[in-house]
Order: sequence, then structure tokens, then C-alpha cells
Amino acid sequence: MNAQLAAALAAEEAAIYAYGILGVRLTARGERTEARAAEAAHRARRDVLVTKLAALRASTAPAPAGYALPFEVTDRASALKLAIRVEDGVAQAWRAVLPVTEGGDRSTALSGLTDAAVRAARWRRLGAVTPATLAWPGRP
Amino acid sequence: MKRRQLLGTAAGVSALAGCGLFDDDPEPPPAPDALQPLLDEAVALAAAYDRAAVAEPRLAARLTPLADDHRAHAAELAKVIGAALPSTAPSAPPGPAYSLKSLRKAEQVAQKTAAAACRKAPAARAALTGSIAAARAAHAEVLR
Repeated sequence: MNAQLAAALAAEEAAIYAYGILGVRLTARGERTEARAAEAAHRARRDVLVTKLAALRASTAPAPAGYALPFEVTDRASALKLAIRVEDGVAQAWRAVLPVTEGGDRSTALSGLTDAAVRAARWRRLGAVTPATLAWPGRP
Repeated sequence: MKRRQLLGTAAGVSALAGCGLFDDDPEPPPAPDALQPLLDEAVALAAAYDRAAVAEPRLAARLTPLADDHRAHAAELAKVIGAALPSTAPSAPPGPAYSLKSLRKAEQVAQKTAAAACRKAPAARAALTGSIAAARAAHAEVLR
């Protein structure tokens, strides 16, 4: 379970970093508000994971100071593309936690997966990406 | 004392006989698979989108991918359960036409079913049911 939780933590850290970069490239006020809310949600999940991993006494790699973005974010279109990319990555990481957890921990993982899938759909819709939904969110 | 023990033993024997050896009651039907409600919902939702797309052709481009997601879920659930997939009607089956609002409501109800199934599922089915719950939540989001 620790490996999957550590991977979820890495995905959340990457999402927090990405939203810091992409938020300023969004043009509509509603989109920027949305990005801030998403970043706050990822920070909350990150904190839950840090606490959980500490309780399990699992060592995790420290979060890198910077991440290599998969592509340059220069405008609204590339900002939306990155938002979709990071949410899909977060969904994948949480989905992998489901089979190795039970009870409350599995519920947490399901919320992580579901919220990321909902946000990815919202960004796809804003970016006019079709289809806006995936049949299997989080499936690699 | 001895007599009571003897009676007790006799009663025990007849109780044993009653529970199986001479019983010709038919076997109870096997309990439906825990994923059967998810499969039923996936089939019903796909049909509901098909009907809505026929009733409102301008919405077809938006609704058809959602119907396709449900068909993908139904196919995989049927495979996992070992159930036969109800044959899909060539055209939209009869039934009430759904509004976007009622479709959204139906997705939200179905999401709850899938989330509950995920929480109770054995490890091997956790990711499958989790993705279905997340997909249904995302569907409700794009119907806003």
C-alpha cells in the first residue's frame, strides 16, 4: 500500500506545482477561480497523504523543488491541456490505491479518483475537447 | 436420566434427517452478483441517452459519447459477472424521453450505487467499480 500512497502523493505534488504555473495563463475569471479551487483541493489531499504516510512510518522521496512539465505553458490552450493532463495523472494514481486499501482508506482513494475525473471533465469542456469524459477514468 | 438422554438422541437424529438427506426441496437460486445492479444501470443509462438523442437530435453529439461510456461499462461488467449482455436495440427503445436534468439525476443515483459497490468490493473489483463511479460523476458534471 505504501508504494501506491507514495505515488498518489507524488501525483498530488505535481498537480499543485502545475496549477501554480497554469493558473496565470487562464484568461476567464471563472477559470482562474476554478484553478485556485483545484489547487486547494490537491493541497488538502497532499496533506492527508503526508499524515497517512507518516503514521505508516513510510519514507517518501522529498518533493522536488521543480517539475519538468510535459510541454511549455504559454497560453490558455496549453494551460487547459496541462490541467487535463495533471488531473488524469492524479486519477490514475488514486485508482491504483483502491485495490490495496479497504474501508475509510479506500473511500479516500475513491474520492481522489472521482474528484480528479470530474475536474478533468470540466477542463475538457472548457477547452472544447471532445469527448469531455473518459469511459475509464484513471485506467492507464 | 438415561431415558432423557435417549430421547435427546432420537430427537437429534430426526432433526438431522430433516435437514437434507431426505429433503427434495429445490436448491435456492444463486444470489445475484453484487455488480448486477451496476450492469442494469449501465444498460438503462445507455438506452436513456439513446432515447434523448433521438428526441433531441441537436444534443446527439453531446450525449452519444456518454452512452458509449455506459456501453463500455456494461460490456466489461457482463464479462466480469459472467452474465449475458442484453442485446442492444438497433434503434432507441421505447420509453420516456429524458431531459438533461433527469439524466444528470440518474447519473448521480448511479454514481452512488457504484461508489457503494467499490467500497465493499474485493480487491480484484475495486478499480473497475471505482472507475465506473468516477465516470458517472464526470457525466453528471458535463450535463450541468
